[in-house]
Amino acid sequence: MKKILYTMLFSLCLPLCGMAQGGVAREIDIPEVEVYGRRPMKEIGVQQTKFDSVVLKENIALSMADVLTFNSSVFVKSYGRATLSTVAFRGTSPSHTQVTWNGMRINNPMLGMTDFSMIPSYFIDDASLLHGTSSVGETGGGIGGAVKLSTKPAQADGFGLQYVQGVGSFKTFDEFLRLTYGNERWQLSTRAVYSSSPNDYKYRTRDKKENIYDDEMNIVGQYYPTERNRSGAYSDLHILQEAYYNTGRGDRFGLNAWYVNSNRELQMLTTDYADDTEFENMQREQSFRGMLSWDHLRSVWKLSAKAGYIHTNMAYDYKRDPGNGVMMVMTRSRSRVNTFYGEAAGEYYVGEEWLFTANVSAHQHFVESHDKNIIRQDGNQAVVGYDKGRIELSGSLSAKWRPTERFGVSVVLREEMFGREWTPVIPALFVDGVLSKRGNVMAKASVSRNFRFPTLNDLYFLPGGNPDLRKERGWSYDAGLSFGVGQKGVYSLSASANWFDSYVKDWIMWLPTPKGFFSPRNVKDVHAYGVELQAESSVALAKDLSLGLDGNFSWTPSINNGEPMSPADMSVGKQLPYVPEYSASLTANLKWRSWKLLYKWCYYSRRYTMSSNDLTLSGSLPTYYMNNVSLEKAISLSWADLNIKGAVNNLFDEEYMSVLSRPMPGINFEIFIGITPKWGTKTKK
Amino acid sequence: MLFVLCLLLGSCMKWEYGDEENFAVSGEGLFITCEGNFQYGNATLSYYDPEKKHVENEVFYRANAMKLGDVAQSMTIRNGVGWIVVNNSHVIFAVDVNTFKEVGRITNLTSPRYIHFVSDEKAYVTQLWDNRIFIVNPKRFEVTGYIECPNMTMESGSTEQMVQYGNYIYVNCWSYQNRILKIDSRTDEVVAELEVGIQPTSIVMDKNSKLWVVTDGGYAESPYGYEAPALYRIDAESFAIEKIFKFALGDSPSEIQINGTKDTVYWINDDVWAMSVDAERLPVRPFLPYDGTIYYGLSVNPRNGDVYVADAIDYVQPGKVYRYSAAGKKLDEFYVGITPGAFCWR
Repeated sequence: MKKILYTMLFSLCLPLCGMAQGGVAREIDIPEVEVYGRRPMKEIGVQQTKFDSVVLKENIALSMADVLTFNSSVFVKSYGRATLSTVAFRGTSPSHTQVTWNGMRINNPMLGMTDFSMIPSYFIDDASLLHGTSSVGETGGGIGGAVKLSTKPAQADGFGLQYVQGVGSFKTFDEFLRLTYGNERWQLSTRAVYSSSPNDYKYRTRDKKENIYDDEMNIVGQYYPTERNRSGAYSDLHILQEAYYNTGRGDRFGLNAWYVNSNRELQMLTTDYADDTEFENMQREQSFRGMLSWDHLRSVWKLSAKAGYIHTNMAYDYKRDPGNGVMMVMTRSRSRVNTFYGEAAGEYYVGEEWLFTANVSAHQHFVESHDKNIIRQDGNQAVVGYDKGRIELSGSLSAKWRPTERFGVSVVLREEMFGREWTPVIPALFVDGVLSKRGNVMAKASVSRNFRFPTLNDLYFLPGGNPDLRKERGWSYDAGLSFGVGQKGVYSLSASANWFDSYVKDWIMWLPTPKGFFSPRNVKDVHAYGVELQAESSVALAKDLSLGLDGNFSWTPSINNGEPMSPADMSVGKQLPYVPEYSASLTANLKWRSWKLLYKWCYYSRRYTMSSNDLTLSGSLPTYYMNNVSLEKAISLSWADLNIKGAVNNLFDEEYMSVLSRPMPGINFEIFIGITPKWGTKTKK
Repeated sequence: MLFVLCLLLGSCMKWEYGDEENFAVSGEGLFITCEGNFQYGNATLSYYDPEKKHVENEVFYRANAMKLGDVAQSMTIRNGVGWIVVNNSHVIFAVDVNTFKEVGRITNLTSPRYIHFVSDEKAYVTQLWDNRIFIVNPKRFEVTGYIECPNMTMESGSTEQMVQYGNYIYVNCWSYQNRILKIDSRTDEVVAELEVGIQPTSIVMDKNSKLWVVTDGGYAESPYGYEAPALYRIDAESFAIEKIFKFALGDSPSEIQINGTKDTVYWINDDVWAMSVDAERLPVRPFLPYDGTIYYGLSVNPRNGDVYVADAIDYVQPGKVYRYSAAGKKLDEFYVGITPGAFCWR
């Protein structure tokens, strides 16, 4: 009992079995605690959060936004269910988070941010968060940090198939199919996810009232209506094709191709009195991300090269039926982005003490943005928009030195060029060391400079684009302690505490102009600092029974230290709006034989909606807690492995919002059935 | 144990529903509509008593226990009822100007901007993204018809402020437009149009029945064109331009207002400017010099000529309103809601 209590209070769990893995695993799978001396030299001093496939493939209906919400300390700002969800580290903005997919940056070059609701977690085999300074080793521009997403060979032996069907509240259907084939040389995989829902969940609103009139049109009664989420339907299709060829002589070739076809309505605000049958507010996206890769491995050195291409076609239509039954266009905006990508990297080990790396990458963007059709003064039609391209080069050199098992130091120098403008050299220094071998107590510290260039919309959007913007710049400092104890198959416990401090100058914000449109300006200096705590644990409670607990906590003041914008400005010294000062998440995983109970919880403190941190009736986003639970049963038949899973989201039917006027769904349910036929072949684990 | 833990983690996080507050104001007063932030539904209404120098914020929410909505664009008072046009909520709320309580609402609008009363039973509502001006019956809170605007599509549609001269209503067409429309209120038809400069933002009428219109000139690289903005004096009777007062290219004049005696026009162009309606050239010195911020809203007390100017600061915090005497002496200042854009006198 003492052990149970101890575990529940101080640890966190690693979910032990994922639905996607199929099969019935009965051994207690408690991993060995990572020992400092075995850590990769590439990770000297690096502050990162890793997500294994168990977390990523816990539920086919999850996007990466959902995974990050419940398993990390970053802030996920969600505009609704299956709606834009952005991720921000440590009190920075979503465009300060760089996102890579197999090394290729996938941030939208027009907006700078990434919509994590459009990334199904089932398509990601390996994900990690690189906090603050640690992103410099991967990419530039990650003033808050970077999210590194990767796919991996399936390690299949022969043919394999997996199909999962989910059916849930609000007529939600999720389907996942994976076909694999593998032998000694080849690994092939095809994955497809299709999700759809009218998404018309009910919610109670306090933002509006319905009136009851008498015959004279006097109000004789009012009430808060229970409404349905209006204009929230979606249907998303994702297909991912992968092929890997391993020569067996140290060369590996890879192909990844990811196609997205998304049709999403944009939900109406709680304060919208329009009839949703008269309006259409739709966003459609078609994207293709493709990549070819080559890795050449030798005993002490490695070379790799990648070439990639991204095509994104975005369409936004806002229409209204003026009364004749025909939807007429009010806003028709189109954007087309083509990105060509190339990267070369090398690593060279000198003995066991030194590692040198070099990397150079290029992203060439071509953007066509058509935002509005107008009638010119001469009566001819014209389009408001821009057609621009930009080359983005980034190169880094690093030297990593580990003279003893207990101490390591790493230096990274990066330089970037966007358009014709270069950054100064971006230095980063990482140090770590073992304070005590007993308990694997380790200390880490790092410091780096960083820059972020304005996005293409920042520079060229019409109207408002500001070509005179300066790049944002900052310094970040990190320090932390961690430990890990455990015994394989019995228990494991690890935890870390990190402090960070970062300064960002020339922070870009879009502000209205006297002409009625918005325009970006370098207006703020921001000091973000705080503490991140992480813990993981798992314990075997009895034969066939194990418990895991996993937790994160963040304290992230993000303070505006800029000059007042006017004598009346009350925002200086205040927390940035929409950045929670405190956040936490916890997952608990209880496994007994082929049963698994998973509980997920997260918490965000009050978010200010005003830069002055005023609390008002109309701008309130109070603290919220979210609880999800799922129960899963694996069944092994002679011809197939089956999985049945039931999930309850928003268990306590909380009424909450992540963004003003955008209600989230109350309690909702989904059932999944998965099947993995046994075709006389096995999938390696 | 897990269950207990779950309950602890679950909390009792239910939203509290607001209480309706009872207001009873009288005498002279100023409503300030604060747009809030587009797509955030945080528009608010403030009320200022000039005599007591006292402001009450969020009075719509407090009186009605519900939100005003998304982007409160303008407000007009008629017969003791205030009509608040909430653009992106597609609604016009009618409130009692003494209690601030809702007395009704008009819906089925496209993107309403301003309301102008032709009579107690007929009003016009201008729209963005619609080539029609909506005709409404304020007594029945319903849309009764439309005025088709020539040479506009739904996508390029933009009609803004309205002033009346006799039976005619004059409307400035703003977004990617350059026209003033003349509407016969008896037939609800556009009977004439007048070309002015690029993007006329606002319109008023003086004691001499002259229309004053200010344009913003568009912006650099606009496919519609970019020119020096200007102030136009137009004779309402003949519907002809009498005088054009040119500003410098790159200037951003906006918010033309007129005082109660209708002999002085005011506008914002970094500084706050004032000019006699009889003047033949633009003033050399501003009425209120630029004070390190971008002024967003402007109004003149029709009773005593006090000038009110709103500073939206960074547009995500309570804006501040400064009150000056007609002679330019600061009399008061007070915070209101986010993005104070329009004023309405009781």
